[in-house]
Amino acid sequence: MKPDLSVTLGPLTVRNPVMSASGTFGYGLEFSPFYDISRLGMIVVKGLSLAPTAGNRPGRIVETPAGMLNAIGLQNIGVARFVADVVPRLEEAGASYAANIYGKTVEEYEELASRLSEVASLSAIEVNASCPNVQEGGMAFGATPEGIRELTARVRRRTSKPLWVKLTPNVADVGRIAKAAQEGGADAVSLINTLVGMAVDHRTRRPLLSNVTGGLSGPAIKPVALRMVWEAARAVSIPVIGIGGIQTAADALEFILVGAKAVQVGTANFRNPGVCIEILEGIEAFLREERIARLEDYRGALST
Amino acid sequence: MPGSGMRFVAGRILRNEERGGIFYRLVAEIPAPVRFVPGQFAMVSGWPGNDPLLPRPLAVFRSGKKKEFGTVEFVYKVVGRGTALLSGLHHGDSLSLTLPLGRGFDLAEEGRRFWLVGGGVGFSSVFPAAVSLGRRRIGHEIFLGAKARAHLPPREWTPGGAGPGRIHLCTEDGSAGFRGRVTEAVLERLSSLSEGEAARLTILACGPWPMLKELAASALRKGVSIQVALENHMACGFGVCWGCVVSLRDGEGTAYRRVCREGPVFDGREVVW
Repeated sequence: MKPDLSVTLGPLTVRNPVMSASGTFGYGLEFSPFYDISRLGMIVVKGLSLAPTAGNRPGRIVETPAGMLNAIGLQNIGVARFVADVVPRLEEAGASYAANIYGKTVEEYEELASRLSEVASLSAIEVNASCPNVQEGGMAFGATPEGIRELTARVRRRTSKPLWVKLTPNVADVGRIAKAAQEGGADAVSLINTLVGMAVDHRTRRPLLSNVTGGLSGPAIKPVALRMVWEAARAVSIPVIGIGGIQTAADALEFILVGAKAVQVGTANFRNPGVCIEILEGIEAFLREERIARLEDYRGALST
Repeated sequence: MPGSGMRFVAGRILRNEERGGIFYRLVAEIPAPVRFVPGQFAMVSGWPGNDPLLPRPLAVFRSGKKKEFGTVEFVYKVVGRGTALLSGLHHGDSLSLTLPLGRGFDLAEEGRRFWLVGGGVGFSSVFPAAVSLGRRRIGHEIFLGAKARAHLPPREWTPGGAGPGRIHLCTEDGSAGFRGRVTEAVLERLSSLSEGEAARLTILACGPWPMLKELAASALRKGVSIQVALENHMACGFGVCWGCVVSLRDGEGTAYRRVCREGPVFDGREVVW
């Protein structure tokens, strides 16, 4: 029997728990040469701002042990071009997609949510309250419970789309932050975004990123991510989407085991463009092997 | 076209041999033959585990067919941990490859002559262009620059199509050919061109950034068109990480363009050096 991989995220049901993480998957179409992108539970597109954004000066990525630092600075085509040029092609591909949004002010987030609410085929809005690489907005809103509650509540009033809030790990108590997002009206929280890190050259005495600091991602952050997803899942009653260093079906299942309803795969897409499908097939194979009829029966099954 | 025929495949190493203590030549078998435009590249990895995490970009040197399989060939130099690990792989070891990637050299325009300039391991990007031009009997000359004779590519890798006297070797220590930088040799030749000759000439170049910058400035002064193949650190190689951008002229201003997607070959006059 084919196991049931579908997942209910509040008002939204997705066909399977495997999603692409924003910022690692372009606008989704870039992966069409590799596989049918409609097979993914959700494509979360690169963070969109109101106006096109140039991003940070080069010197944007550095490889680190089992990971990488990035300081891209949210280079993107802006919401208008996304809606005009990308949305029709995602529709044509039959893809389920969510928009990650980023503003410098709360008003910009509100405006983005309003504009995107008119896009019928859009499945969800993910509020990026966690980018570490921009001067304003992003993590600045996401670092305190008050900030995240306010931002979530104000965006909530502007959209009836399923609303997810993507959380930063650069806080002392992620459970409190997740709770605040729930209080603000989020339908789900997704975490973790990248951990703020730094790399320097001891000979040139210079930082390796033009932005000096950047966001750490990849397998190096998985244990931290797993702990935070576990904490968040215990703190809230809304669904938690687990992100951070997932490269294999086993990694994804670990996040589901500690309470995540779904997962997002990020940096692993860079080294293996087919990885999301490998993870999806691996989860299905595991459920068959373990004779588990529904993924939901496995979720949160961690015995401590 | 970037994206055309692009695939992620498992490969198997047929050869991975050191040449002259400087360069390695890697030949891999892949599931099906691949066509590439000179200047296009592949993301290659083959070491176990997560460290280093990311594949390495290598220019495609040759591609071919072996029974029902395809073959692909790279020439590389050990410059860091990734290429060091790659150099330790043996016959039969497996590789992961994403290819062909990016936009290669534009060799289509009729009635042009070409000068191909390779600095250091940059020859690995321009030799395929020479092969393509040679096949179509389009006139071209090759300029190769290196620190010393040992750092020049082995003779059997040099495409024959340029004809005798059409390959100009330059070494900084004078151990082979012209003593000095390859840019000086090119500049000297440029200065002797008539306006008409300059207008029909296209330079194709790959090498260190300062070399490309100097060539682009000279080409611009002389009214010669120039295409440069750039290198950069990359996470993905196919346009989704946005880590490899360079600044290009864009109307009145500038814009960041991806080396992996809009490049690696750019019009040298558009790059903000």
